[in-house]
Amino acid sequence: MTEPSSARIGEPLPRVDALAKVTGMALFPSDVPAPETAYAVLLTSTIALGRIVRIDSSAAETVPGFLLLLSHENVAGCIKTPHAFAGLSTTTVESVQVMHDGQIVGLIVAQSYEGACEAAACVRIDYEPSSAAAGFDSPGVQRRRVKEANARHQDPRIGDADAAYVSAPVRIAADYATPTQHHNSIELLTTTCWWEGDRLTVHEPSQFVLDRRYLADCFGIPVEHIRVVSRFCGGGFGGKTSGTPRTALCALAARRLNRPVKLVARREQAFTINTYRAETRHHVRLAAHHDGRLLALIHEGMEITSRPSTYSVAGTEVTARMYACANIRTEVSIVHADRNTPGFMRCPAELPYMFALESAMDELAHALHMDPIELRRRNDTDRDPIDGRAYSSRSLMRCFDEGARQFGWSDRPAQPGTHRMGEWRVGYGCAAASYPAVLGASAARVSLDGEARARVQLAFHEIGNGAYTVIAQAAAAALGLPLASVEVELGDTRLPPSNIAAASNGTATTCNAVTRACAMIRDRLLEAARQDPLFGTDPSLQAAQLMDGCLVAGGARLPIASLVERIGGLVDAEGAYIVPDAPPGAIERLRQGIPAFGGGVHGRTHVALSLGAHFVQVHVHVLTGEIRVPRVLGVFAAGTIMNRRTAASQLTGGMIWGMGSALHEATIVDPGSARYINRSFADYLIPVNADVPSVTAILLEERDEVINPMGIKGVGELGPSGMNAAIANAIFNATGRRLRSLPILPRHLI
Amino acid sequence: MNDGHSLAPESRPAMTAARPLRADGESREAVPDIRPTVTTRFAVNGRFHAVEHDVRVTLLDLLRERLGLTGTKKGCDHGQCGACTVHVNGEAVLSCLTLAASLEDVVVTTIEGVGSPEKLHPMQQAFIDHDALQCGYCTPGQIMAAIACVRDGGARDASSVREWMSGTLCRCAAYPQIASAVLDAAGKMVD
Repeated sequence: MTEPSSARIGEPLPRVDALAKVTGMALFPSDVPAPETAYAVLLTSTIALGRIVRIDSSAAETVPGFLLLLSHENVAGCIKTPHAFAGLSTTTVESVQVMHDGQIVGLIVAQSYEGACEAAACVRIDYEPSSAAAGFDSPGVQRRRVKEANARHQDPRIGDADAAYVSAPVRIAADYATPTQHHNSIELLTTTCWWEGDRLTVHEPSQFVLDRRYLADCFGIPVEHIRVVSRFCGGGFGGKTSGTPRTALCALAARRLNRPVKLVARREQAFTINTYRAETRHHVRLAAHHDGRLLALIHEGMEITSRPSTYSVAGTEVTARMYACANIRTEVSIVHADRNTPGFMRCPAELPYMFALESAMDELAHALHMDPIELRRRNDTDRDPIDGRAYSSRSLMRCFDEGARQFGWSDRPAQPGTHRMGEWRVGYGCAAASYPAVLGASAARVSLDGEARARVQLAFHEIGNGAYTVIAQAAAAALGLPLASVEVELGDTRLPPSNIAAASNGTATTCNAVTRACAMIRDRLLEAARQDPLFGTDPSLQAAQLMDGCLVAGGARLPIASLVERIGGLVDAEGAYIVPDAPPGAIERLRQGIPAFGGGVHGRTHVALSLGAHFVQVHVHVLTGEIRVPRVLGVFAAGTIMNRRTAASQLTGGMIWGMGSALHEATIVDPGSARYINRSFADYLIPVNADVPSVTAILLEERDEVINPMGIKGVGELGPSGMNAAIANAIFNATGRRLRSLPILPRHLI
Repeated sequence: MNDGHSLAPESRPAMTAARPLRADGESREAVPDIRPTVTTRFAVNGRFHAVEHDVRVTLLDLLRERLGLTGTKKGCDHGQCGACTVHVNGEAVLSCLTLAASLEDVVVTTIEGVGSPEKLHPMQQAFIDHDALQCGYCTPGQIMAAIACVRDGGARDASSVREWMSGTLCRCAAYPQIASAVLDAAGKMVD
């Protein structure tokens, strides 16, 4: 009998969880049944700043099926102020104070969802509003440098950029702006939870189940008493990375009612009870020799945050490390306004900051009468311009060159506004994509049974990243098994600790951990093989490999199943990967809810970036200003690709995310009331199928020898990076109009 | 078919005996749950149901919270995202905008009813083959919309598919792969 061939790294295999997802069998957290569930509905504030004067719940309490109203009147003191994951938030219903629009001010629970909605509609809340500061230009905002607010932040700089700028022969200076944006995963923010004694179980979509620490802090109980489960997460995008006040309130309600409580927050509430991408402003100055070599790069950024938080994304960490330049100055400020606390949203720093840098590079190329790809070539570098560290690998120009060839870049009209097709102006644009190759820490348990079936367990997360698939593939490749022989269990705090699914670290971190555990199993199998009377003394055993279900050494092939049988029918091992610059005890810290991050731009010996190049064709209607994007191509290099199919899908999805950020998405903040205006899919536009006729992602081979044993850099957040600039650059090429504030709308072009 | 859920259809868990709590923490007599109910008789995935329910219940909440058919997803509850798309008498409808009480004598098909893991619908297979999903949350709605798109003649070419499928949002943006899957399945669907 021939053994089935083993899975290989990189092979474009179908997702192992696709069957569950196309049949509706994949249980997302709000699908998990809980007997005798009571239904919760959140009450959120209708002012952005002020205090609650009175909550009149008398009518609500007469609604049939009403069970409970939680508000500051009966919550204060029952939930301790929890730690804050990214920045201090403000919404645990601890007082009458309202600090932002849509703040949670109460929770209604009833026997049925309909009853809870009716009761919530009957609650009357009187406020005493104060004048709220909505954004950058509002009176009463407070601005400060990030390096003053956050001791760990340093603004990258080298040389004397201001002096070099003033005396340079070619200069450009421009202001850019990106809007407020919200994650808007299609899955809503849900929580289903119940208590058994002093132990709490929470089913909640999550990118980091181990942030149960938030709840442990809220209720003053050990983390081990809390189980968080998220087998599937219906899109995260940074919006499901940490514990939230809604979970604490649901847990409190479940405790008081002594029954399971289920909350499905409304779409409009997701805009205010969670984090978001804050609006940013940038002032960028570039100076160059006539031959295009950069003389000075100055990038000043400004970001909105809430009153208590110092959260910032500070994307100058990346924009200062893209191109060779002897004189660089960066500076990032935060502006405190009366808003909810922002947080990670897909490609958090690079989406706004690369928009500014890559737009400015296009402006400089135009000022130099130079092709924008040529400008990047003249400033390509193999050393970090700030501190001289080498890149772990860098294929930026290979991406540009391959993209230019496949896209037909040579057809680009050099003069803006000169190419027309009927009533449409046609333009081409390009921009670099860049995202730090961040790594973390993860444990993984692998067990192999006597039928050569493997089970892999770790508390990582399937959020559309293909985690089930690439982790199964890593184990199958390492154990020499077909993909179908590997079962993966994720998304449960009972499993070995794993990292947060964020910052593109997941595939690299978890696959290295799984491979390490598999190597330990291989050693055990090798030991068993040494006991084999026929092959045990064969010197080629030293170089034995696991493949196609067998341990293969020289001419010998020993079935893995028989080796496992020989050592008791089950082999298991727990392995771990820990990024070299992680603080000691990284796995234990994970268990306590502290994610691990290292590498990227902060690696000790190297700077590590995943890189790529976007190419865009736009059509702009001469009369209406309507913008169409008939064709986009991205070429990326990100080290080892675990699965070319899931990686390409993540990248095309990311590119479309970037297209949305350029042409569709903006949360409008009313300057008078500091409230979000367009809190629905009818008003907050995201790309739909008709918006994206042709989107292609090409993956270049790239070997990274230093970043981690498997050479994986990650792609999850790479696709959106720079796409918005490529679109703005294409619109400039089509129309001669340089638009520096997103989103770009038809009215900006007529 | 195996609906894979532990809540038995047509039986709602008994109401808890726990007493409601006032804001001040004192317990009080429960307000009886006496909203008007109605009994609707209809078929879901080939199985007959007679469900007594609150007149305000949507088809989406009835499927998910009463019948344990959680393949149909809630993404906005406002008819703006398409995640809750099901078929009523063969037509695609948004179950979040459909009152259950309006469904007397109809035939409802959800994602659990279009195929089984052993015998997938061509559209389900095409979604796997083309990697037309990432997180998978909108996927049931996409597949229900896609089947209706083909049946209603919307799968003439790629451009027509993209237009028809634009009412169903995918935040992972598997759109190019979805369009390919629909075109592929269109040639393989028999009805």
